[in-house]
Amino acid sequence: MAMTLNQLVLRSMRKNAKNYYLYVFALIFSVTLYYSFVTLQYNPAITKEIGNGMTATILKAASYLLLFIVIFFVLYANKLFMNRRSKEIGLYQLVGMPKGLVTRLIAIENIILWLGAIILGVFMGFITSRIFVMILLKIIEKDAFVELSFSIEALLRTVIVFLLLLMVVILQTAMRIRRVSLLSLITTTVVADEKVKKFNAFQMILGFIGLVFIGYGYYLSTTLLDLLDDPTLTPDKMLIQLLLILTLTIGGTYFVFRFSVALILNMVRKSKKGLMSVADVLSLSTIMHRMKSSAMSLTTITILSATTLGILTLAYISYYSADAMAQDSVSYDYVMYEDTGFDLIDEFDKEGIQYTRHDLDLLAVQADVRPLLLKEFALKKDVSTLLTVQVVSQKDIQNKLPNLQLKEDEGYIVGYDSLSAENIRLESEKPIQFITSTGTDEIFITEVTEESLVPNYHNYNFITVIVSDFYFQKLLHDPLNENQKIVGMELKEEDQLKKAEEVFEENKVSVEIPYPSGLATKTVSVESQEIYRLDILNSFGLTIFISGFLGLAFLIATGSILYFKQMSEADEEKGAYTILRKMGFTTNEIMKGIRRKQLFNFGFPLLIGLSHSYFAVKAGWVFFGTELVAPLLITMSIYIILYSIFAILSAGYYRKVVENAF
Amino acid sequence: MIILRGRKIKKVFGKKTNTQEVLKDIDIEVREGEFVGIMGPSGSGKTTLLNVLASIDKVTEGMIEINNFNLQKMKEQKLAQFRREQLGFVFQDYNLLDTLTVKENIYLPLSVGKVPKTVAEKKIKDITTLLGIEDILNKYPNEISGGQKQRTSAARALVGNPSIVFADEPTGALDSKSATALLSNLEKINKEKKVTIMMVTHDPVAASFCSRVLFLKDGQIYSELYKGEKDRKQFYREIMNTQSVLSGDGYDA
Ligand SMILES: Nc1ncnc2c1ncn2[C@@H]1O[C@H](COP(=O)(O)OP(=O)(O)O)[C@@H](O)[C@H]1O
Ligand SMILES: [Mg+2]
Repeated sequence: MAMTLNQLVLRSMRKNAKNYYLYVFALIFSVTLYYSFVTLQYNPAITKEIGNGMTATILKAASYLLLFIVIFFVLYANKLFMNRRSKEIGLYQLVGMPKGLVTRLIAIENIILWLGAIILGVFMGFITSRIFVMILLKIIEKDAFVELSFSIEALLRTVIVFLLLLMVVILQTAMRIRRVSLLSLITTTVVADEKVKKFNAFQMILGFIGLVFIGYGYYLSTTLLDLLDDPTLTPDKMLIQLLLILTLTIGGTYFVFRFSVALILNMVRKSKKGLMSVADVLSLSTIMHRMKSSAMSLTTITILSATTLGILTLAYISYYSADAMAQDSVSYDYVMYEDTGFDLIDEFDKEGIQYTRHDLDLLAVQADVRPLLLKEFALKKDVSTLLTVQVVSQKDIQNKLPNLQLKEDEGYIVGYDSLSAENIRLESEKPIQFITSTGTDEIFITEVTEESLVPNYHNYNFITVIVSDFYFQKLLHDPLNENQKIVGMELKEEDQLKKAEEVFEENKVSVEIPYPSGLATKTVSVESQEIYRLDILNSFGLTIFISGFLGLAFLIATGSILYFKQMSEADEEKGAYTILRKMGFTTNEIMKGIRRKQLFNFGFPLLIGLSHSYFAVKAGWVFFGTELVAPLLITMSIYIILYSIFAILSAGYYRKVVENAF
Repeated sequence: MIILRGRKIKKVFGKKTNTQEVLKDIDIEVREGEFVGIMGPSGSGKTTLLNVLASIDKVTEGMIEINNFNLQKMKEQKLAQFRREQLGFVFQDYNLLDTLTVKENIYLPLSVGKVPKTVAEKKIKDITTLLGIEDILNKYPNEISGGQKQRTSAARALVGNPSIVFADEPTGALDSKSATALLSNLEKINKEKKVTIMMVTHDPVAASFCSRVLFLKDGQIYSELYKGEKDRKQFYREIMNTQSVLSGDGYDA
């Protein structure tokens, strides 16, 4: 018997090569991804070179997320694999093989496949982990060299995880073979359809509720930021709100797929009164009949897509904002404070570095912004409108705003960024009140702009008011106000940056400066925009990398699942294509209908996923950076392109099936 | 008028050393309005012959003309269109799309042409009334009997007014009562609407509904019977006789 068993396994393996290659691809992909990530995680050089004390924790958390993707993907692939082979398994039983033997056969086969996949995956993972390190260092613009040796620890971990997973798969298979009757094994592929006949009011209501849920979830997500300002907010309350939003959108998505879609399609179909074109037949009716079985997986794909997109966008926002944030915080290539770091200027001269020098007086002035508030903006109770604002004279900023013309009692606000806007909403054409020793002065604000043109010295990330030279002199001589002289230097030649940075490194100085309150001091140093930018990259770099890594893993997993699913659908529908082609419909006519179906199967989850991720990103992006639109659009476009590859692949598969269906 | 003409039809399966000549130099002519039966032992090439005549399969050698269109000279695209407009098909296993209702299945052949919706409705009504399935139009294939399925299939084949209908063992999966009902319907349609029908069958009763029966053996036409003025019982006996002559060489029916 043993001999026969071996032969059988080998023969069936060879015969099912097509089914295997998908499954094996999923396995190898999962092992590769997991091993390469764990290799990074266990490499001490990584934790030393990159980021901060959180690095190890972040890596660990990410590895669990990755594990989740891998488990989900492998189990799903196995399920599809078993579905496709149900006929073969039924046949074994039909010829009199006992269930135990069939189970053993499948188990042996799985063990062989998995061992192969683990070996190959680890090998590939070893190579890809190098590529990933290179990408990571590139992201954070670091020239460091990270030695990557073959990690036994990572290997051990990978082997344990996948052997456990293998056991789960074998157990699952065994249970499936045990439970399922011979007849249903043979006919699994045929009964996947649900016959949608009558739609009752109940289903209609559920379909509608799905839409309402999503809408309400979106609405709640937009109120999330305001919630943060609520003084009675507790972490529990926040968590409940988050869970509520998640439940509403995920539940709503499922309802939409399960009920709304079939409902709407059925209505369209009814309206045709039995006269459907071939394209309708291949899109409308197939989708409708499959909705019950595919609602779950389409929901999963939608949610995964939304999560992926959300993570990727947020990470990209930080990355993308690094420039802007550096520009915001250090408004010139180099910023120096009075009497500090003036050596640097001499050094630049000595090294022949070309620069322009800008001297600024930065005043800290108390002001009341209440008259400036947006009319509709309801100020939170405990938020004071009495604030320290920076004031700068028009002549000092002439180089950045050459067209600015201010009258004596006029002002121009810069540095009103999104974070400031979250707390206090201002509008132009209204006055601001400066508090001076002789009383309050009203200065009419002509414009409120976002760009931060002046270093934030006196207040962190709040507005700076540019005033006329005349009025500035008044404020300057008011003993209430504290002045800080600042020198900003702008390099003339971009390609001297590297050299300038070297000079800067050797001449760094920092001084203790008291806060305006006089209660504490802060260390300020000569600042370099480039260093600030690299700092941001360094602290966000790891998050960005991990998000990218996980995002890619999610994308490939979801894309592959959709592709696998479409492949089995194509195989199941081959009979229908045969009938249609015999009747005289051309491949192109049939493909027209299939493409419509594909548009739905890929496009609809994508569309809802994009919409979900948009609201998710909108709800929390201010914590990640300063730019929303560009990173959002770029991430979404790249995602759509990569995602489309899977749609194109599966369309190709359909075409092959239709062409061979005769 | 001759509607179908086949000359020296040869069909070889397999490649190189492992070939099998299934059809050997078959000549065939079918006149408009004929109801031709094709009989023969299992594996004698009946299905193959029907498929090449119906342009579903290609001949290895020879020529086939339907309505003066030479099938071998037509490109794939053109051939598909020709099939859709001029031919109808009924198969043993019904070949209905099970995600579509009876009516939607029957409408399919009309769906690409420029048939106005109202005309299509009328055509569907006429043919389904003729076949006695007008009451099940909104049912799905899995909700109706085998006989009804096959009549649906026949309705779909006939609804576009094809020049010729090909049927491969249409009664093969039916009980004798449903089979007789279907055959009577086909006979009626053949007589009343002058639709030409070619039907493969291994059942002498089914063949006795035809106006002419061809016997295939080893890829060649072995003999041919005309019904003429005979009634069905007489024709049936004649068919049985011919078959028993054939069965001397191992006929399996
Ligand atoms: N696609 C094919 N490839 C190879 N051989 C075939 C193919 N189709 C039919 N045959 C062979 O041709 C012969 C005739 O088949 P068929 O026309 O189906 O016979 P019948 O319908 O009379 O039972 C059989 O021996 C069969 O094995
Ligand atoms: Mg046959």
